[in-house]
Amino acid sequence: MIAAHVVGALAFLVLRGAPARWVGAFLALIAGVFAILSSLRVLLSGISLAFAVSLSLPALALTFKLDPLGAVFLLLIGAVTIPVALFSIGYTAGHGAGGSAGMAGFMLHLFLLSMSLVVLAANVFTFLFFWETMSLASYFLVISENQDGETLSAGRWYAGMAHVSFGLIASALLIAALDTEAMGFDAIRNLAPAPELKSTIFILAFLGFGSKAGLVPLHVWLPKAHPAAPSHVSALMSGVMVKMGVYGIVRVGLDLLHGGPPWWGGLILTIGAASALIGVLYALMEQDLKRLLAYSTVENVGIVLMGVGLGFLFKSYNLLSLASLAMVAGFYHSLNHGLFKGLLFLGAGAVAQATGTRDMEKMGGLIRRMPQTASFFLVGSAAISALPPLNGFASEWMIFQSLLAGVRVPHPFTAALMAVAVGVLALTGGLAAACFVKAFGISFLAIPRSERAEQAHEAGGTMRAGMLILSSACVLLGVLPIAVTSLLSHSVDHLPGFAQVVPEPRPGAAEWGFGLKMQVPGSLSTISPAMLALILVTIMTAVLIGIRLLRVNRALRLGETWGCGRVVQTARMEYTSTAFAEPLRRVFGALFRPAQDVMIDFHPESKYFVQSIQYRRVIRTWFEEFLYEPLFRGIQGFAGVGRWIQSGSVHWYIAYVFIVLLTLLLIARWM
Amino acid sequence: MAGEYSVVSLFSKIWRTGCVTEPLDPHSQRPLEIARQIEAKTKNILGRSLAIREVDAGSCNGCEIEITGLTSPVYDAERFGVHFVASPRHADLLLVTGPVTRNMEVPLRKTWEATPDPKVVVAVGDCAQTCGVFQGSYAIAGGVDKVIPVDVFIPGCPPEPADILLGILRALDRFPSKH
Repeated sequence: MIAAHVVGALAFLVLRGAPARWVGAFLALIAGVFAILSSLRVLLSGISLAFAVSLSLPALALTFKLDPLGAVFLLLIGAVTIPVALFSIGYTAGHGAGGSAGMAGFMLHLFLLSMSLVVLAANVFTFLFFWETMSLASYFLVISENQDGETLSAGRWYAGMAHVSFGLIASALLIAALDTEAMGFDAIRNLAPAPELKSTIFILAFLGFGSKAGLVPLHVWLPKAHPAAPSHVSALMSGVMVKMGVYGIVRVGLDLLHGGPPWWGGLILTIGAASALIGVLYALMEQDLKRLLAYSTVENVGIVLMGVGLGFLFKSYNLLSLASLAMVAGFYHSLNHGLFKGLLFLGAGAVAQATGTRDMEKMGGLIRRMPQTASFFLVGSAAISALPPLNGFASEWMIFQSLLAGVRVPHPFTAALMAVAVGVLALTGGLAAACFVKAFGISFLAIPRSERAEQAHEAGGTMRAGMLILSSACVLLGVLPIAVTSLLSHSVDHLPGFAQVVPEPRPGAAEWGFGLKMQVPGSLSTISPAMLALILVTIMTAVLIGIRLLRVNRALRLGETWGCGRVVQTARMEYTSTAFAEPLRRVFGALFRPAQDVMIDFHPESKYFVQSIQYRRVIRTWFEEFLYEPLFRGIQGFAGVGRWIQSGSVHWYIAYVFIVLLTLLLIARWM
Repeated sequence: MAGEYSVVSLFSKIWRTGCVTEPLDPHSQRPLEIARQIEAKTKNILGRSLAIREVDAGSCNGCEIEITGLTSPVYDAERFGVHFVASPRHADLLLVTGPVTRNMEVPLRKTWEATPDPKVVVAVGDCAQTCGVFQGSYAIAGGVDKVIPVDVFIPGCPPEPADILLGILRALDRFPSKH
């Protein structure tokens, strides 16, 4: 797998144009297949694969180990790489030949390789090295598509926040590895640090990984960077890279630190719930299709972390089967999110390429011009809205069940919080459905709102093939959740402290009766998505047959949409995305507090004739205004004070280096 | 409102005043008989209420007042299955008034096209048939039958409610049968 990525990267450097795209994509595809195969092997057999590459210093050895926890995330990486690789063949065709396209392809392979190696890393140095490579490669990919001011600013935000999170992660891991010599994860696992130290490490790691995952309030880079990147990169970043944050939290919290007091789980759960709600509310107000999808990623990562937080919480109360259930639900949702968010981003990319814009209010009517892309996008929208029998439904159902089972927690306050969390999750589910009705409806239905939309062409064959793979995966994982959950529960069993779960009935597994049933241990709920799918298909077929049999009059007459007899009907009379979300903006007005502006131009002769009306509304980004702007101003002020150090004279700089070196040697001498 | 009423004084006033409705005079029985025939016929043909969409193609509103008189408490035609609907898409019968003004020509045509088959058109009033007092005006496109095909004309300026109901009854005879 590593070899495939390396060769692919080199191919992009060496070849140009069409052969480079095909060869590079093909190699990425092979790498993805290998990733899936190796992760399945590890998950099914339970045996970890390990290997090492040693450099000169013992602390700098690169050790890798693919254990079942990492295998889950490697599976996700492989699963999304394959369709994205196919998609990129057609999508990058128009992105300029020569240097920049080759560099983008090289960076893509580097990105995929470093992400895979992050989940394989078995010591601190390896982890940090490949984490940083992953961030850098994705930074270059974000700014690869176009170089205008907005994209560069998005890149700057992304690079800045990625490095802040790297700093937090590095400090967390280095503190955890203080007393080990090779800083291997195995060695850290065997340490038993004091509770205060454990909590410090956990907080630092949670903040660092949480920023990468897109948790509120450290999520601000996400809605800037994901729209700016080319769509296949956005699909990878949104679907896979943010899950590296989830992986980090689980690895450090449960694996290396063996879980902790209940407030860890409560913290993750609360912030996850808050992110979910805030993410979906901002997604509803968006007009830019890709930024809507980016905010929706914030929402879904919040849901994943609700599941993971529950896992932490149950483990701290020693309710191990419930903890296992919650963790499996969280992993399942991250896998599903990778699939359907990848699908949605690829669809958005196809649409953006066809219409030349990401603005939903300039699209419309695309279902006639791009029918296959529209149907794939519809499957993705239905999956993310958690409609049965698709995969989003299965994983959100499991998280709901874990929350409802949470009333068994011995601490009454926490149990009450579970009920609140159920409410929050239900609210986000409903709002997400509304959001995606808007996203699909405004972009694809009715008539085109602009000339570019009228002339949109269907996406290319490879692009459609990539989307087809993802939609089939969404349907398959929805109808057969047992296969996935039993696989995922293997990963949880290998975490320290969970080994006692094995004799109990495995959560998520089922009696393979008629229709695969999914059962939650200890509760009365069972659900069979396969049966649901079967029932839906049966009803639809019965209706169609019934219509035939009863000889219902099916004469068809095509006519114009009824518009009260208007003489001329144009696209100006359609719903706009702003109008669709208006009732929700009113309800949640306290959160948004948008700045609104109405400008009316009257005819010069009379105030009763209006020439034009302009309505402008800006949703205030609270986090940037109240959290980041003051921070930046503070840093700038502070930096301004110390500016005199930069005198510009080389002699002074050499003097600084000398002084610092001397001081360090003296300190080391006296320690 | 002159004078404040409390709940108690309101109820006592209702109790003291009693019921002030009068029985219908014999002249008003004729529309009700026609309405009963309409009810029987629509139940036979449609199996449900008759859905009527009223289109004002530039009338002086005299015919409209008579039509709304039909649904007033005096005649209350809705209890006989004569149901006025909000959209031509829901309608079986179009009730058109007025000489068709130039501005309403295209909307009237579009309304007729939006009404699903089977449908009938009833033109109410002298203006709908012969343009009435507006004949020869520069703002008229002609009678209703110059724009859409009409099944029944109801003469009168304005026609009486009984005549309007009779026109609807005749129109039901011309309802196209289901294939």
